[in-house]
Amino acid sequence: MNRSTQHAFEPEEIMAYLDGELEARQAAALASHLEHCGECRTIAAQLRQVSERLLDFQIEPCPLKLGEKILQQGNTDIHAVSMLQFGKKPKPFRSFAWAAAAAIVLLLIVAVSVPNYLRRKMAANETTRVDQYRISVDNATVPAAGPTATTSRGRAVTGLQTLATPGIAADSNGNFHGLGDHAEGIVGGVPGGTAGKLEAQHAEGIEAPEIRGPMIVQTASITILAQNYDQASGQIQPLTSARGGYVQDMSANSQTGTARSVSATLRVPDKQLEGFLGDLRKLGHVEQETRNNREVTDAYIDLTARLKTARATEQRVVELLGTRTGKLSDVLEAEQELARIRGEIESMDGQRAHMEHEVRYATVQVQLNEEYREQLNPESFSTGRRLRNSLVEGLGNLAAGITGTAIFVFAYGPSILFWLAVIGIPAWFIWRRFRGTPKKT
Amino acid sequence: MNSDEQLILEFQKGSRDAFREIFERYREPLYGFFRRRLENPARAEELTQECFLALIRNAARYEPRASFRSYLYGIAVNLASAEWRKSGREVEQTEHHDCAAREGNPDAALWVRCALENLEKTDREILMLREYEQLSYSEIAGILRLPVNTVRSRLFRARMALKEKLMPVQGDAHRKIEEPR
Repeated sequence: MNRSTQHAFEPEEIMAYLDGELEARQAAALASHLEHCGECRTIAAQLRQVSERLLDFQIEPCPLKLGEKILQQGNTDIHAVSMLQFGKKPKPFRSFAWAAAAAIVLLLIVAVSVPNYLRRKMAANETTRVDQYRISVDNATVPAAGPTATTSRGRAVTGLQTLATPGIAADSNGNFHGLGDHAEGIVGGVPGGTAGKLEAQHAEGIEAPEIRGPMIVQTASITILAQNYDQASGQIQPLTSARGGYVQDMSANSQTGTARSVSATLRVPDKQLEGFLGDLRKLGHVEQETRNNREVTDAYIDLTARLKTARATEQRVVELLGTRTGKLSDVLEAEQELARIRGEIESMDGQRAHMEHEVRYATVQVQLNEEYREQLNPESFSTGRRLRNSLVEGLGNLAAGITGTAIFVFAYGPSILFWLAVIGIPAWFIWRRFRGTPKKT
Repeated sequence: MNSDEQLILEFQKGSRDAFREIFERYREPLYGFFRRRLENPARAEELTQECFLALIRNAARYEPRASFRSYLYGIAVNLASAEWRKSGREVEQTEHHDCAAREGNPDAALWVRCALENLEKTDREILMLREYEQLSYSEIAGILRLPVNTVRSRLFRARMALKEKLMPVQGDAHRKIEEPR
């Protein structure tokens, strides 16, 4: 018989009782048990003895100097703890690390910003110098007052001086920057390039086109999801007109059972584009927006130069026709040349006007979508109408079936009858021959 | 009289008197904690000091969820464990020799120390936290990250082992003391 069957409590529980770790009810029960159980009392006594023996392990008192040291240190660090309450880190290493990090950041800022500042300053000085060149060249007597003047460095300046605007700088060699290769091509005098053409035209006394800064064709596309579709779609045109623009085209889709939408191509003055896009964004939630800027300065200069050349040619041909006499064939040839040149001029004029318009008016593609909410369709519950439709449809199907059958009979009936006769009649005779005559009874 | 928890909260707010009170309350118990676990009194003194310094530095982290006593002895146990890790191999090599050398020593404290050193490490720690630091089973379980039932069973095992070691020794020691008479 083991111990657990004899005793209601395990030795561990006796130990817990002595340590005061038993619940009150259990403790009372165990105390009662101990009064009657000698074996359990022995265990309890042994456990008490062990604890008493352990108390023999006494140690010397704490040295007094320990208190002085710690209290002295504690006085210093209590202040540190109170600083921690305010989230401050008084550790010297951290302070040093923060100071070092701040110094590095400051150094980086200085290292980046100072060279940029110096470059901007140099560019501004160079721009001023270019303007001074322009003034001096304008004041000087240049043969034929041509727009192209050559500076002491052999660079073409006049006629393109407007390129020397803020944001477009020139370096110390007189080359312009800010318009990319385009500006370099114009001013740098690259043989065969645009500048080459211009110089050739200038040599003929043709006025160079005047460009006011880079010519940019701006396009934007915006897709808007509107909660209040009716109000938003109604505002597109007024907003466009308010900005001095117009609606180039507009199409609306309002199919039943689907979200309504409006697609519109709007044209607004280039200066108004940003504000106009801001107006559009207020119409609803912007789902997609893209912007594209295409520079056409080079093409415009080229086109203008060709146009002026053509006009000059036209003028010469006209003069030639008015002053010279010759064969009729020569006159006719000159007339044809004049007609061709005028056709080219008109075409180029149109292109130039189109280009200028493209630059002046930005294109905005707007797609306005309704935030679709499914709606009950009362028509779907009109039973009478559905029955009528079904009846009409059924009659239509019947008529179509009869017509189709008649067509089939008329189309294939003769052929079927012919082949039945060709195949069926001999087959009938063969069948009768092989079947034999029935026996007479 | 303020409780330990109230004192540490006041200390968090910067009260020096609160710290002084805590220090006075726990100076002897903490020194005893380390002294019983280390043979070198100077080292025990240093660790007691380190324990109070750790308390000062980490006072802001104390939350009144646990009892302050558990919190403080948790720091002490960690410091003692670190100390054992540093000199663990050396202690393991010497402890049995020490016990052997003490067998003829009638000093009861040395006998108890010797008996304790022969216990399994965790059992010994549980027993000492219970007997000398008077921590409850749940507090010991929290400090040593053990289940309460494990603490109870290990404590019982340690006490039974000590009973075997100390009782006969006690008799022998008494005999040895009584022999000259």
